[in-house]
Amino acid sequence: MKKPIAGGAGDAAGTVALPHPRTSGAKRPSAFLENERWLAAMLLAPTVLLLGLFIAYPFVMGVWLALSSTSVGNPGEFVGLKNFLKAWNDSIFRTAFYNTTYYTFWATVFKLTLGMYLALLLNRHFRGKRLVRASMLLPFIVPTVLSTFAWRWMFDPTFSVLNWLLYRTGFIVTKLPFLSDGDWGIWCAIVVNTWRGMPFFAITLLAGLQTINPDLHEAASLDGANGWKRFWHVTWPLLKPVTLVVVVFSVIQTFSDFQLIYVLTGGGPANATHLIATYAYQVGVATGLLGEGAAISLFMLPVLFIVVWLQLRYLRKLEGA
Amino acid sequence: MVIERKWKKWVYFYIPLTIFVVGTLFPFYWMLITAIRPDAELYRSWRAVNNAPFWTLAPTLAHFQDLLAKTTFPQWLWNTFFIAVVSTLISLFCGLLAGYALARLKFPMAGTLGTSIFVTYLVPPTLLFIPLADIIRNFQLGNTPWALILTYPTFLIPFCTWLLMGYFKTIPKELEECARIDGATRFGAMVRIIFPIAVPGILSAGIFAFTLSWNEFIYALIFLSSPEKKTVPVGVVSELIRGDIYFWGQLMAGALLGSIPVAVVYSFFVEYYVTGLTGSVKG
Amino acid sequence: MERRAFLKVTGIVGILAAGRAPAFAQGTKLHILRWVDFIPACDVELRKQAGEASKALGAEVQFEFINANDLQPRITAAIQSQSGPDIIHMLHNWPHLYENGLVDVSDVAEWQAKEQGGFYGQSEAYTKVGSRFMALPHGIVPGLTAYRKSWFNEVGVTTPPKTYDEYRQVGMRLKKKGHPIGQTLGHTFGDAPAWAYPLLWNFGGMETDKSGKTALDGKGAVEAVKFMTAFWKDACDEGGLAWDDTNNNRAFHAGEISATLNGASIYIAAKRAPDKIKDDKGEPLVRDIQHMRLPAGPAGSWSYHTAFAHGVMKYSKNQKLAKDFLKWLHGVGPYGRWFEVAEGFSIGSTKQWERHPLWNTIDEPMKGFKTAADNSRVIGFAGPPSAKATEVYSKYVIIDMFAKGVQGMKAEDAVKWAAGELKNIYG
Repeated sequence: MKKPIAGGAGDAAGTVALPHPRTSGAKRPSAFLENERWLAAMLLAPTVLLLGLFIAYPFVMGVWLALSSTSVGNPGEFVGLKNFLKAWNDSIFRTAFYNTTYYTFWATVFKLTLGMYLALLLNRHFRGKRLVRASMLLPFIVPTVLSTFAWRWMFDPTFSVLNWLLYRTGFIVTKLPFLSDGDWGIWCAIVVNTWRGMPFFAITLLAGLQTINPDLHEAASLDGANGWKRFWHVTWPLLKPVTLVVVVFSVIQTFSDFQLIYVLTGGGPANATHLIATYAYQVGVATGLLGEGAAISLFMLPVLFIVVWLQLRYLRKLEGA
Repeated sequence: MVIERKWKKWVYFYIPLTIFVVGTLFPFYWMLITAIRPDAELYRSWRAVNNAPFWTLAPTLAHFQDLLAKTTFPQWLWNTFFIAVVSTLISLFCGLLAGYALARLKFPMAGTLGTSIFVTYLVPPTLLFIPLADIIRNFQLGNTPWALILTYPTFLIPFCTWLLMGYFKTIPKELEECARIDGATRFGAMVRIIFPIAVPGILSAGIFAFTLSWNEFIYALIFLSSPEKKTVPVGVVSELIRGDIYFWGQLMAGALLGSIPVAVVYSFFVEYYVTGLTGSVKG
Repeated sequence: MERRAFLKVTGIVGILAAGRAPAFAQGTKLHILRWVDFIPACDVELRKQAGEASKALGAEVQFEFINANDLQPRITAAIQSQSGPDIIHMLHNWPHLYENGLVDVSDVAEWQAKEQGGFYGQSEAYTKVGSRFMALPHGIVPGLTAYRKSWFNEVGVTTPPKTYDEYRQVGMRLKKKGHPIGQTLGHTFGDAPAWAYPLLWNFGGMETDKSGKTALDGKGAVEAVKFMTAFWKDACDEGGLAWDDTNNNRAFHAGEISATLNGASIYIAAKRAPDKIKDDKGEPLVRDIQHMRLPAGPAGSWSYHTAFAHGVMKYSKNQKLAKDFLKWLHGVGPYGRWFEVAEGFSIGSTKQWERHPLWNTIDEPMKGFKTAADNSRVIGFAGPPSAKATEVYSKYVIIDMFAKGVQGMKAEDAVKWAAGELKNIYG
């Protein structure tokens, strides 16, 4: 039995091909590609090129832009941290920052809870299960902008079908101010975000649930644990890793959200639903203050970084235990 | 005993499930209904006696006709489709190669490179769009589909890489080694043995990437200006609200037609999509 | 008609008389970007004129129309990439904001002023930066309050209320009957500033003093916010915080509100679709619409309207062609025809259009629009309408000041907030 070739860092063994009529006297390219390092470099090259050009490079440019006084038509000059300070003193920005945090927190809580509940419900066999599962994913599949328009029409100040329904069933007498009131507005946005994102949680948690050995549940119920206790002591600990990963993805997406608010409320009423991304757009692109807009966007980075770092640390702790 | 169990089943299972299904699907029903109701019915006062929003006795296809004939909607559908397909192909290509390299090969900085690909996820499009707009214009790519085709992979590749890495890790190393013993090159083994086994993973990653591209908004909003170059999400937002008037009938028709291609593609590959979702998370 | 034919001929003759048709390279395209007009017929007329201009100038003239709220992002993109439309529509005082990206058109502007009786103060202030005209004024869309005659009669009001307080009293009675007044305090480009800025001025408030220093924090602004809060609760449809420029039109046509500040588009749309837009008795709504001016406050009765202009972009490779085209478009002939199609929605930037025969034959409720723009101030008052004033406008600071008061913030705090924002912007 021939020994397999060992690869390894700095190992030149790759160039030593096993003797075979076809490969001995091999041309340069194939020998080249036998070397793990070169092969890896070639394989990774397109990715590194694309990501470097369209993420790393703009990121650096963005930082430079944020430190300058560039505005539309006026190449700026270096102004240090002035844009960041101006943003921090701008109460509209502070409102947007607070809104983004509030929106992300509550939307994630609801997506997780409802997603978990739905996953538990779907974790059984029943007729039509496939159809239900497939249709439940629709909100996640359909382009956000399009479904948000449907919601916007449902919340319309004058023609809302929800108002109509509640009025007809006698629950309300005057219209509910879905998008006209600040607090209502952000909760409507949370509802739409939850509607859209919950399927992602549900399906992923469902997959996680299905890897849990049913014998564990049997054992627990034999020991006298009821539904809730079983969930908390058996299911939940095993689901924590998957949950954590899903939550990280979701938090990054929600914190940097733009489309939903842009279509649903445009940031209003009176900035009550402005997010960091939508405000950056308004300042940078609509008003043309590019340096300030870039600075506002960059405020997202530290928060995302901290959230991800905390969760990865927790994940490592879990896996280490 | 039996009756009690049945009652419990209804309360704890069927009813919550029904509520979920209705809540999830109602907005789509609403889209459909609005798209086929004539204008006169749409804009009735909410307290008007004859306001019956949930159905219509005079369905009309006028909104769809207006949408297809009087706007550049068909062009947007094509643009979006083209951009989504090409971006997906590019991302699959890069993700496949990168996933294999990270899962199978040992080389210096493997860990660092792997982590940095994932870290790019921390730099979301809404953070990059302002400087990226300038870069795109400097490359003379402004207002062309290539601006999107080259930038969408930035958020598609990490996903594809993760997913395919997970797949590769489950393929036993022995398969490759046998192939190489039989004389295949490393590259050949990769292409001829490993990739075909990973086809389910490739399909999953592909369908996931396709739906993500279709969904993208801010880059399309910033990089494309001419009406005929726009994608469906951007076109619907900017072109179906003309001046004083929101054409809600057309808007909902556009929303429906814009969602159908993705939903159709998805419905053929539901299993792959689900595996993709879950695989990328576990991987 | 004779007059029209005459004007048409003089229009083209004008160009030819200015010299032979300029020799432009075959295939030269002139791309003009404008907003989607609230009177669709106007855009139709412009496309027609584009065809005529193409022949007269020997180059292809092409109009593109996008939503007003999308104009600014498009301008930013165009100037940053140094390519795009040759002529772009400028609203409010945008020429001040985009000064570095525009071409000096003082020669054409002076010609227009001389030929057509001088500019309105607002138009000139908005397009003149320092001593140079950076854009050519192309009309003003004045706003008046459209109201339902019959409902006002029902509460005993037969003449328009003269002061804000009177208006509030009337509104209270109307709201009790289920017909509130509708006003947007949302983030939108036209109706919201048209209400908010005059409200501030008419109570004696101002953004900056004559020297340009911020001066918002004062009794005038506080009184204005106090009024607005009371007015909102007593008389307004409280959904107005989420309205954009189109919601009030819809609400008015659907019979949800009894009065709203707007351009003439409510009336004109109702007039053009009498079978679709009806009142609750089944009669065409247009017969019940009348217009009135904004009421007066303790410090005056100013108003604010949206002024429009055409700017030639510095990156354009067809600057001479653009200027020639604008001279033709703003000339008495073509502009006159466009003006007539607008039916009073858009009035001229120059005073001579007050004397146009259109005003003699126009429907009686529309007559007020003729001189509506005569008492307009500019944003940034009392200082100049500089780029900083545009930033305040783009951030909707003044509008939000009222919105905050309406949502429960104490008037003094709302004003302090806005003053802080202003200081942050003006530095």
